[in-house]
Amino acid sequence: MASNSVIFDPTQIYLEIDSTIQSQVWRQSQPFATPSSRWNEYLNQLCLNTILPWLQEDYKPQAAAALRSTSLPNVWEFVNGAPITLDANRLILIPTESIDLDEIRIPQEWVDIPNWMGDYYLIVQVNLDDGWLRIAGFTTHRRLKEQGQYDWRDRTYCLEEANWIADLNVLWVSQALHPEEATRIAVPTLAPLSLPQANNLIQRLGNPELLTLRLHLPFHQWGALLSHGGWRQRLAETRWGLLDQGSVRQWLQMGVSNLAHQVGWRRMEFQSSLSAARGDDEAITAIALSRRLRIAGQFYELRVLSVDGDGAQVWRFELQNLTPGGLIPAGFTLRLLTEDLQFFDGNEDAADTAVPQLYIEVALEPGEGIVWEIEPIPDQYDQEILRF
Amino acid sequence: MRPRQSLIEHFSAFLQFDADHFKNWVIEPQLRRSIRNCFQQYPQPETSENFWALYWHRVWQVQPDSLARGHLAAYVQEVCYWAAQKMTERFAMTQYGLADCFQMAITRLDRVLKGFNSDLGCNFKNYASATLSSLIRESLRQRREIDICSDWALLRKLSQKRLTEALQNAGLSDHAIASYVLAWRCFKTLYTPQQATGTRKLPKPDQNTWEAIAQLYNRENQDQLGPQSPSANPEILEKRLHSCASTARAYLYPNVVSINTPKPGQEGSDFLDHLPDAAQTSLLNQMIAEEEAQTRQTQKDQLSSVLSEALVQLDPQAQKMLQLYYQASLTQQQIAKQLGIKQYTVSRRLVKVREALLRKIAEWSQQTLHIMPSLDVLKYTGPILEEWLEAYYGRHEPVSPENVSAE
Repeated sequence: MASNSVIFDPTQIYLEIDSTIQSQVWRQSQPFATPSSRWNEYLNQLCLNTILPWLQEDYKPQAAAALRSTSLPNVWEFVNGAPITLDANRLILIPTESIDLDEIRIPQEWVDIPNWMGDYYLIVQVNLDDGWLRIAGFTTHRRLKEQGQYDWRDRTYCLEEANWIADLNVLWVSQALHPEEATRIAVPTLAPLSLPQANNLIQRLGNPELLTLRLHLPFHQWGALLSHGGWRQRLAETRWGLLDQGSVRQWLQMGVSNLAHQVGWRRMEFQSSLSAARGDDEAITAIALSRRLRIAGQFYELRVLSVDGDGAQVWRFELQNLTPGGLIPAGFTLRLLTEDLQFFDGNEDAADTAVPQLYIEVALEPGEGIVWEIEPIPDQYDQEILRF
Repeated sequence: MRPRQSLIEHFSAFLQFDADHFKNWVIEPQLRRSIRNCFQQYPQPETSENFWALYWHRVWQVQPDSLARGHLAAYVQEVCYWAAQKMTERFAMTQYGLADCFQMAITRLDRVLKGFNSDLGCNFKNYASATLSSLIRESLRQRREIDICSDWALLRKLSQKRLTEALQNAGLSDHAIASYVLAWRCFKTLYTPQQATGTRKLPKPDQNTWEAIAQLYNRENQDQLGPQSPSANPEILEKRLHSCASTARAYLYPNVVSINTPKPGQEGSDFLDHLPDAAQTSLLNQMIAEEEAQTRQTQKDQLSSVLSEALVQLDPQAQKMLQLYYQASLTQQQIAKQLGIKQYTVSRRLVKVREALLRKIAEWSQQTLHIMPSLDVLKYTGPILEEWLEAYYGRHEPVSPENVSAE
């Protein structure tokens, strides 16, 4: 609408919201637990879909959402804010529909959960009716901690307009000329939850009647629950009333679940390298789960397969380069953790020099959950629980 | 408008409107007394406006309630007038006149005072001018939006700070405000639009929604407001939220507060009552010792040549865009039409061009003045650039858009 767009501020960026994307995002936001979580997803997804292409075009082609499209909904079920990866920096978009910009409230989750924290927070004013959004300014983690006021009532850090930087160009110029300026300050780690604790919380909070979930338990517990990608997913699924996603065992027999498919898991047949290693004459065709990963600009494949056939007890996790003949570079580590992120004996394989493959074999009880990790961290990595 | 002549006038006279036109300057005696007092202490008082502006800004930082605020309010009257005039010209509005725009800006003088950083060698008047322009622009945008929102839509589009201030302004106690804000938060949690657009015309929530709001309110009440807090039924909450909306709406149109009316208790008091003589003298001495004015002028000239050079190196379309915006005072929409591109593209390009220029300034001050381009420094550099662009293109005769040379 012309009447409003007339008074754009020349120093700030205004982006047009594509009306096709707008109605598409709205349609896709259906299955959320409550009207407000649906609205939250709509607003955040719209911001992300509008801002990312602009960042890629005008600034950094490699800018990407920090999480996969399968993980973002389970963030927006609970919290306002959309994470973006920009080279080594994390940028958190904080959308607001407020007409006035006297303050912005940034959820504590984006500030005090160590693996959620951002370098920069972008204040995004969204005008859904006129179809534009405006980047009204930004701050850094450090500045937010120093200049923001913590409000325990809604667990946010509030920043007044005078304290943020209205001109986004300041961010780019500072990155170019003064990259050594610290953007973050350290925050205390959150004590991990035990498996029974987490199960208990997921059951309690899974009730979609509960609305202000974020405020229902002490922050250190809530933060620990949320920072675990697998538990966050389980909690969201419970609230959405989704059925159990099944186990790796079932996926291998009957095909991967819809959700696992969206995450990127595929069922595949291949000539087992195990049989060759054992000197078997006949190559055995094995079935494995496979997922493509992008790590430091290269593509790799993570495979999960049973070592001992149908009555499987022992499972093998393998990481290899997707390029034929490609290696795993030195410095890579493949690591498995229990569902509550504990280490166990023989849970990791590290490449001291370039190797063809990293692998771990582990005996697992039926129903047991495993979380995998790789260093360096793959693009859009989020912890997931593989159930056996 | 007749410009003010003497230094004393600059820091003590206020602009009066007759309907929408400049009427005259009215001197505030208390401020005149205060500035004369300062001059008397120095046989050869500094004659630069900026010197005194910086001086009173420093005093204001130490003593926000002193007359320093009044001096600075008087000082920015002219730039505020020109900013308002430019805005009314540029946007050809029927609803808001020059005097309205002037009021919108001057009532938010604190934003200028808080935002200005005298350590970075900025010119106070330039900073004020850029900031006041953007305040007017922002107020206009907000008012248009507020005017078309229903009460229930408006409630969803307020910051908590604005709402709290509105309620404070209406005289509510802190405890009452906390309960209103909780009601408002419950409303926001439960009342979301049912469609992708059309968020300005939301109707009153239905009975089910009110009951859900009451349920949530009563569940959170004790935790948020304390164990003694009474619960509330849907009717009470509806009433509270309705009054939140009207209070906020009224607050967004502040009454004209005369900035030169002395605050209660300040009546007839002297400047020296507020700032001890010794402190005042030491501030003045300190500033004179810094001999800022002269070196600043040299720096300004250098910066100006750095930027002029950078402008010449821009591609023709960028140059034309700047010319159309700053010299011909076109809106971004008009520029878009003239160049045959979208308004959003104009916004993107202008921002990109400003990035290049901001970087030039930062590099220059790093090399010449050895100022690290930290976020804090850069934050205050933006307005310098904006003001420089205004001044640079303003030096040239305003041109009609047709005369701007084609690429």
